[in-house]
Amino acid sequence: MMAATVIPHSPVPVREPILELEGIEKSFPGVRALADARLSIAPGEVVALVGENGAGKSTIVKILTGIYQPDAGSLRIDDQPVHLESTQDAWKQGIAAIHQETVAFDELSVAENIFLGHHPRRDGPWWRGGGLVDWAAMRSRARELLAQLEADIDPDTPLKALSVAQKHIVEIAKALSHEARILIMDEPTASLSQREIHDLYRIVAGLKRAGTGILFISHKFDEIFDLCDRYVVMRDGHYVSEGWIADVDSDQLVSMMVGRTLTQVFPRVDTVPGEEVLRVERLGNPTEFDDVSFALRRGEILGFYGLVGAGRSEVMKALFGITRPTRGKVLINGREVQIANPEQAAANRLVYVPEDRQVAGAVLGMSIKDNLTLPSLARLFPNGILDDAKERALTREYGLRLVVKAASWDQLLSELSGGNQQKVVIGKWLATRPDIIILDEPTKGIDIGSKAAVHAFMSELVQQGLAVILVSSELPEVMGMSDRILVMHEGRVRAEFDRSTMSAEAIVTAASGSH
Amino acid sequence: MNTRTPHSTHTRIALALCAALGLGALTPTEAAERIALVVKNLGNGYFEAANKGGQEAAREIGGVELVMTGPTQPTAEGQIEIINSLIAQKFDAIIVMANDPDALVPVTKKAMQRGIKVISADSAIAPEGRILHLSPSNAQLVGEKLIAMIGKTIGGSGEIAVLSATAQATNQNAWIEWMKRTLAKPEYATLKLDAVVYGDDQSDKSYREANGLLATYPNLKGIIAPTTVGITAASRAVVDKGLVGKVFVSGLGLPSEMAGHVKSGAVDAFALWNPIDVGYSATWIAHRLVKGEASGKPGEEIDAGRMGRIKVGDKGDAAMAEPFTFDKTNVDEFARIF
Amino acid sequence: MSLNRFLKQRETLLALILVAISAGVAWRAPTFIGLANLHEIATDSAILIVMALAQSLVIMTRGIDLSVAANVALSGMAAAQLSMHAPWLPIPLVLLFATLVGLALGLVNGVLVAWVRIPSIVATLGTMSLFRGLTFLAADGKWVAQHEMSAAFLAFPRLDVLGLSLLAWIGVLGIVVAVVFTRHVALGRELRALGGNPSAAKYVGIRETTLQLFVFAVAGAVAGLCGYLWVARYAIAYDGVALGFELQVIAACVIGGVSIAGGVGSVTGTVLGALFLVLIYNALPVVGISPFWQTAIVGAAILSAVILNARGDRTDGLRLILRRHPAH
Repeated sequence: MMAATVIPHSPVPVREPILELEGIEKSFPGVRALADARLSIAPGEVVALVGENGAGKSTIVKILTGIYQPDAGSLRIDDQPVHLESTQDAWKQGIAAIHQETVAFDELSVAENIFLGHHPRRDGPWWRGGGLVDWAAMRSRARELLAQLEADIDPDTPLKALSVAQKHIVEIAKALSHEARILIMDEPTASLSQREIHDLYRIVAGLKRAGTGILFISHKFDEIFDLCDRYVVMRDGHYVSEGWIADVDSDQLVSMMVGRTLTQVFPRVDTVPGEEVLRVERLGNPTEFDDVSFALRRGEILGFYGLVGAGRSEVMKALFGITRPTRGKVLINGREVQIANPEQAAANRLVYVPEDRQVAGAVLGMSIKDNLTLPSLARLFPNGILDDAKERALTREYGLRLVVKAASWDQLLSELSGGNQQKVVIGKWLATRPDIIILDEPTKGIDIGSKAAVHAFMSELVQQGLAVILVSSELPEVMGMSDRILVMHEGRVRAEFDRSTMSAEAIVTAASGSH
Repeated sequence: MNTRTPHSTHTRIALALCAALGLGALTPTEAAERIALVVKNLGNGYFEAANKGGQEAAREIGGVELVMTGPTQPTAEGQIEIINSLIAQKFDAIIVMANDPDALVPVTKKAMQRGIKVISADSAIAPEGRILHLSPSNAQLVGEKLIAMIGKTIGGSGEIAVLSATAQATNQNAWIEWMKRTLAKPEYATLKLDAVVYGDDQSDKSYREANGLLATYPNLKGIIAPTTVGITAASRAVVDKGLVGKVFVSGLGLPSEMAGHVKSGAVDAFALWNPIDVGYSATWIAHRLVKGEASGKPGEEIDAGRMGRIKVGDKGDAAMAEPFTFDKTNVDEFARIF
Repeated sequence: MSLNRFLKQRETLLALILVAISAGVAWRAPTFIGLANLHEIATDSAILIVMALAQSLVIMTRGIDLSVAANVALSGMAAAQLSMHAPWLPIPLVLLFATLVGLALGLVNGVLVAWVRIPSIVATLGTMSLFRGLTFLAADGKWVAQHEMSAAFLAFPRLDVLGLSLLAWIGVLGIVVAVVFTRHVALGRELRALGGNPSAAKYVGIRETTLQLFVFAVAGAVAGLCGYLWVARYAIAYDGVALGFELQVIAACVIGGVSIAGGVGSVTGTVLGALFLVLIYNALPVVGISPFWQTAIVGAAILSAVILNARGDRTDGLRLILRRHPAH
């Protein structure tokens, strides 16, 4: 148990809430995303929804916007139960969202983007053009909405001509065009500059005055404290607590977010780190990260923590030769190396298990065997002729080591559970017998059992003398597994902790960029 | 005479020279009548053959000088330039194998205004630009010829089939229609048409259709293919099935493309309009027009020497004759020409 | 049930359909399943089979080669011209020449797709017209007829080797090579991985450009070989040779279960797909169906096969099919 679990008394909203969620549950095969979600929003109030990655925030957003339907629980609007079967339903109820990645159509004009899916139509019988798109009305209403947001954007401009910040404003205008009473802002500032963030603040203030209820999701505490009236904390799909922002400080919020999950047992066995295998000196590229330096030793797990977009995966891709760093040096076993492509990385016995296994890891249409042996083909069969017996031996070895559950090694990967797919993806890289293995979010989106297997396996690897880099956004995992943790923020390493200095609060604070 | 006229501003001089040379060479006295044969392009065996027939007619008529000319590339522009110079030289008649039906109309109209008799042959000029057009043949003549030919080859009786191009091809369908009408005549009662199939002018499909015919109709004795791809494919299928001498292929095709199949025995005889006859008939018709012995009005019958009387049709189209028969006795000779 | 076993069953299903069609046609025309006609079908399908196998490699890597038929025409015309001007040349050399011409044309596609990064459907649409045009120009619009080709040139695909035509043997050889390549050569595995998940393949160090160049080169070389075989078999070379054949090739692949989305496909399936088409093409003239219906029937047959496959891709769809077809 965390020491400082300050749970303030639940405040009663000043006004009757527009929206109320209670006891919402939602499960996906192998994962329970929401166990008990609770939330209420009143007119003119900004509610911060806080929680770690995987706490269930995105699932709540998707339920509110009609993309997912809850398995259980009640969703009430104006005290009436509603079922949102689609985004259109949500719009009709006055709920609109601005997403993390703007969902927009670059080739269409600003006005078309705003009114996509609900174009104003001309009146009258069809033979007089009734039912056709009323372009004039669409333009003038778009102009009104943009003026309301004090934005100087011509509704006829194609969206692709706008800056990221302007696109955000169009997204907001789109939400307002639904006459939204509840506006969901999911990481709205992730890609905005300081000045643009300021504009956003102004817009939020205006919406508040107009009586719109806002659900605000952000990892940045300064924004939460600047903008929000209340907070709701989620953890592992559960409601944890809520209260007035004025009553808490950031340390207290972090404690509530991280909570008891730190007590989860990690199978970490202490190892004595050996000689240094990897040294990275001032690695950088123009846009994504800069001045990244660290060293890694045999038998060591080095954790990389940070928010989404902090530049962790980008550093790893550069190390693996997917992209090219423009500055800095990489030394493996004391020798400087140039890694221009994954083949050269493998030749240096460095492998990378990418974050998105569906996209970058597994070939779902191929069998377990074919996936497992894929990166080893060149090493095992230098003349290019395959030997089935050899392939099967390798598959058996790593399949059993990673406890892959399958009917046969010829089973297609698409038929396995996410956890077992992940084991195969890790297995295929281990089969190349690396010295250094980079695991990028290795347990994201997989069930508890598979998570434990992956954690156990990581411990086994370092015991065998491998060096492991663990990139993870799950604080308990990073803290439970790593010997040392580097925290990145906006492309730079902001802090380093070892087992004696690491604390959840310090890590989260460093990751959010606060001082 | 093989007058190769440069396609340039020197055309007039060259033509004048050639005409002068021909003048001295062909007739002791000054030729009373000069006819020009404007072909699509020079150096093509098909047109050389047409010229051969034209010279034959000129000799038969006597006192007529026929000059073949044409551009080096088959373009309407080249023909226009040449016809202009022919007008300047006051030729009596011009026979044109047109590269474009419409582009030539202004210049040939100009020629007719100057009293020059203009006809087109083989490839037509639009009606307003010529007195009449001489087609090598027409659908009825082709249909009758194809049936007569296969009947002769297979000994007057037996089963036959047709392998056409596409089911939508207008000219092929017209020929097939006339074949059916011809078969309805009592003299062909012993010929039985088993099927009409379509090879789409594709070698593989035609080959499969021919194979299908051979498999489905064991008593089949003849396949008529009024298209070169079809006749080639059917011949190939007959040879591959070892049915040479049992099944005969016939149809329309260029001698140069058919010679091999005649040699293999798959084809006994095939037909196509003979360019020699086209040149011969056109020269006779031009001569009759110049002499005022014919006017070219629809319904008129014009005497064309050994080709007999050629009837002018509704739109000033005259069909010369049934197609010419090629077999092992003459195919090699013609294969060298076209 | 494992999907792998199911895949095998899908191919079994296709094989059963082939048997059913043959039986149906034989009922109307018993000679259809006679030894002579089976030999004819083996010979007739060889070109489509080897071409479809090559195309399946391209489709497997998420590409498509629309220019194969035009390549057949141009390489075939080149081979015919060579034979016309040098009739003394040994046939294996003519064959090699046609293959090299095809390879060169395939490399043009490969460079456009792999290096210039033009989507393959666009690049090969362009080269399709280009190759057709060149076929016309190569012969100045003239045709090469039977008597202009040497006897050996024409006889080669028809040579009888152990009771089968050489053309049929080339089909067999193509299948063997394809099986060995996909099962026992690392490159074959990498092609599937690239088509199945390009980004994962990149992480494994598979070079997309090299592999794309490779598949288009193979498709080109095979088209070149087929070009000679086509012209020799049908004894005629002209600019309209194999017009529309690219669509038959793609249809054979799709019927055989090669996924246009990439990464999925088998040699067995592709061969069965090609046999299916050839069987239909050969059966229609024999059963005496009106020629006006033939094209529509072929189209309907292709659609049914593809729909069956698409449903087979989903497990529930599969169960439905299996329930309706209890035969094993």
